[in-house]
Amino acid sequence: MEGETEEELRTRTERKVKKAAQLLFFRQHRIPGVKGWELKKALGDDYVEVIGVLNSALDKLGMEVKRISEEGGGEGEGKEKRAERDRFMIVLKSPVIEKASGERIDNVAMLSATLAYIISKQGKASRKAVEDFLSAKFPKQRIYFALDRYIKQGYVGEADKVLYIGWRARAEVDRKALLDLILGA
Amino acid sequence: MENYKNPGKQMKFGELFRLLNFCRTIQTEGTDPFDLDVKKFLETLKQYHKTKKWKSLDDLLLDAEAIAELAKIIELQGKWIKDRSSSFYIDPVLLELKLKMLEPQQLATAFFNSWHPIIAMDRITPQRLQEGLAYWNALLPFDERNDEFPFPSAIESAFGIEDLIELNILSKTEFDDSIKAVLNDLEARGRIEYHDFIYGDAFETSVKKAYLTSYLVNEGKAELDINPLEEEVFISPSNNANVNAKADHAQGRSIPVSLSYEDWLRWKEKQKRN
Repeated sequence: MEGETEEELRTRTERKVKKAAQLLFFRQHRIPGVKGWELKKALGDDYVEVIGVLNSALDKLGMEVKRISEEGGGEGEGKEKRAERDRFMIVLKSPVIEKASGERIDNVAMLSATLAYIISKQGKASRKAVEDFLSAKFPKQRIYFALDRYIKQGYVGEADKVLYIGWRARAEVDRKALLDLILGA
Repeated sequence: MENYKNPGKQMKFGELFRLLNFCRTIQTEGTDPFDLDVKKFLETLKQYHKTKKWKSLDDLLLDAEAIAELAKIIELQGKWIKDRSSSFYIDPVLLELKLKMLEPQQLATAFFNSWHPIIAMDRITPQRLQEGLAYWNALLPFDERNDEFPFPSAIESAFGIEDLIELNILSKTEFDDSIKAVLNDLEARGRIEYHDFIYGDAFETSVKKAYLTSYLVNEGKAELDINPLEEEVFISPSNNANVNAKADHAQGRSIPVSLSYEDWLRWKEKQKRN
């Protein structure tokens, strides 16, 4: 801002970074994270820069702000408009902690196999194909229950009996690393 | 369509419809879009233009539909090339094979090593508490909101044993005798896998036995022992001394155990093999 001293600028930025951290750490909606337009409304036009400053602070704690692109928007949509539609959320930067989930090992295995299978089918596969694939190792009843749960949790999406990678897997799972790890195991 | 009256056109339409269906199959099944020969498709259309002269509205609509479907396939071909050239592309067959070979533990480890969990917390703020209180205050008493929670109509509820007796479908003595017979059978066989106990030579009698067995469990005369990990259910007769106590004090719970004709057939096959 015009006529603003360096001290005032720093205080203003710190205030905005604090606000951004609160918005991103505490859940506002059913789905975690905040949309770009919400951040813009709360932090101002320079919200992308503010997120950049927050990111450097989080980096020291092993976390980062992840930006997830949402479907839709035309080809000619500008960078700014796209950022407003995108969802921002904080994730663990590197998978360092031993256990960050109370999930049973076989449920995680099923999720891992489901995601890898869907990714290998270019991002979508019929629910029946996934069920048949999983049934080689798990009872059908368990598979139905597990798939419904992954859909509810956001790891997998479903439309017209076709499964696709859900918003949560897009945010949390490094898909390339998952496939590399599976192939290299 | 009027044009079908002309046998020459009918033949060509057949070819065109076959190609259109093939385009739709590629889109819905996600098969290789390069299975469609685009050049041949266009040549067929061109030939038809030359020889038959499309004039009617139906002809023109079909022509437009064919071009639109072809455009979708070309778009899919572009996407397919893009996917294959990306670093994400891995032969699905190879991956499927690998997934089948891996142990659940290895799959879970791969997931955890590529997982960056979202960090999000829930917190009730004083403002949110105030909103909750305002909602509570504005809410009508429960008995004034019956429409929001309608009771299921009587017709939807299942027939109980009393209903069957009342309708003279079953007599109380007949029912008691059947229950007793099932209990005697269970006592003779001891602890046994539930399906092995229920299933018999006919599917109908198996369902009847399952129905009667549910009464034994309900009355505390039989016990179900479930191993959810292995998906096994065992049934055993209860200790007679505790039956009444159990029936009086046990907290009611429902245990769904599925029975199906296919499952019964599989069981029969297994019995034959053994």
